[in-house]
Amino acid sequence: MNQRTIVVQRDVQADQKADAAVERDRLGRRGTLVINLLSSPGAGKTTLLEATARHFAGRRKMAVLVGDLETDRDAQRLAPLVPVAQLTTGGACHLELPLVQRGLKALGDPDVDFLFIENVGNLVCPASHDLGEHLRVVLISTTEGDDKPGKYPKMFRTSQAMVITKLDLLPHVPFSVEAVTQDALRIQPELDVLSNCALDGSGIANWCDFLEQQYQQRLAKYHEPAGNR
Amino acid sequence: MHERSLVQNLLRQVAEIVAAEGGGQVTEIHVQAGDLSGVEPLLFQTAFDDMVSAVFSSDCQLALEVVPVTAVCSQCGHQFEIVDFQFRCPACQVGSVRVIQGDEVTLISVTINSNNSIEGVAS
Repeated sequence: MNQRTIVVQRDVQADQKADAAVERDRLGRRGTLVINLLSSPGAGKTTLLEATARHFAGRRKMAVLVGDLETDRDAQRLAPLVPVAQLTTGGACHLELPLVQRGLKALGDPDVDFLFIENVGNLVCPASHDLGEHLRVVLISTTEGDDKPGKYPKMFRTSQAMVITKLDLLPHVPFSVEAVTQDALRIQPELDVLSNCALDGSGIANWCDFLEQQYQQRLAKYHEPAGNR
Repeated sequence: MHERSLVQNLLRQVAEIVAAEGGGQVTEIHVQAGDLSGVEPLLFQTAFDDMVSAVFSSDCQLALEVVPVTAVCSQCGHQFEIVDFQFRCPACQVGSVRVIQGDEVTLISVTINSNNSIEGVAS
């Protein structure tokens, strides 16, 4: 009997990351910006998407894949506004790429400008899964408390933007926009920080302008002559 | 809870590696989990203990090593360990730093007992 050690040195998620990169490039080349929206449950992802859909109506094409453990309640809310597919994880705490691809197929792989993936409400596990997005946005609502970035560092570290939601409740809750921003920037100094209230529409135009900028910026590389890439 | 899906993934990869090497009894799987990998070591170990016997012998051990997060500054090139999730270069204060270690789960090595001689496996 021989005992021996096989040296591997390989990222356990390497295959998933490679698959996600292929999907990101496929959709990017086609002109679809993929946005992974993450937050704790109830931070206002669906409400933000409703407001976004109203703002973009007639201007930009968008579709939504919405993840939840059970029910199609979020999809029902969004269905009157945009093409939407509900992804139910059956108890799993995050979305993975194959589920996203199944949802995209169910929608007929629509050639939209913005594809939003509304992840399962959870500030932990979804941070570890690349879904082929070009932009990762974390939402934090004023009712959650301003101490969350430091408690869930991976989520904030892996995001490119943070959106503070439910700004209208600021006078009623002990939440400091300054404190949450500083805490998040400590973890991700390059984070873009936005804020809005999707219910009364304040800050939504600014959010949509930000998405337009991101569209230009992040998809530009797919339209450069091959030699410049 | 995603530790379970990571362990499932890990065991599948180890099984493929061992099969490609001509088989054998897996005695130890050495894994590094970075502080920013999103893995809680205790939950990972529990998931491993729970799931390993479905694929390998329950004697198969997990050697789980937690590694700190290391980053390199994109401005001045300074390499440093991230402490308390402060992602700013301590040398030049620039915020654009790249994580080079500690944000993933890495399968380092697999130890097996086999009847094949090393030469036999290599051929």
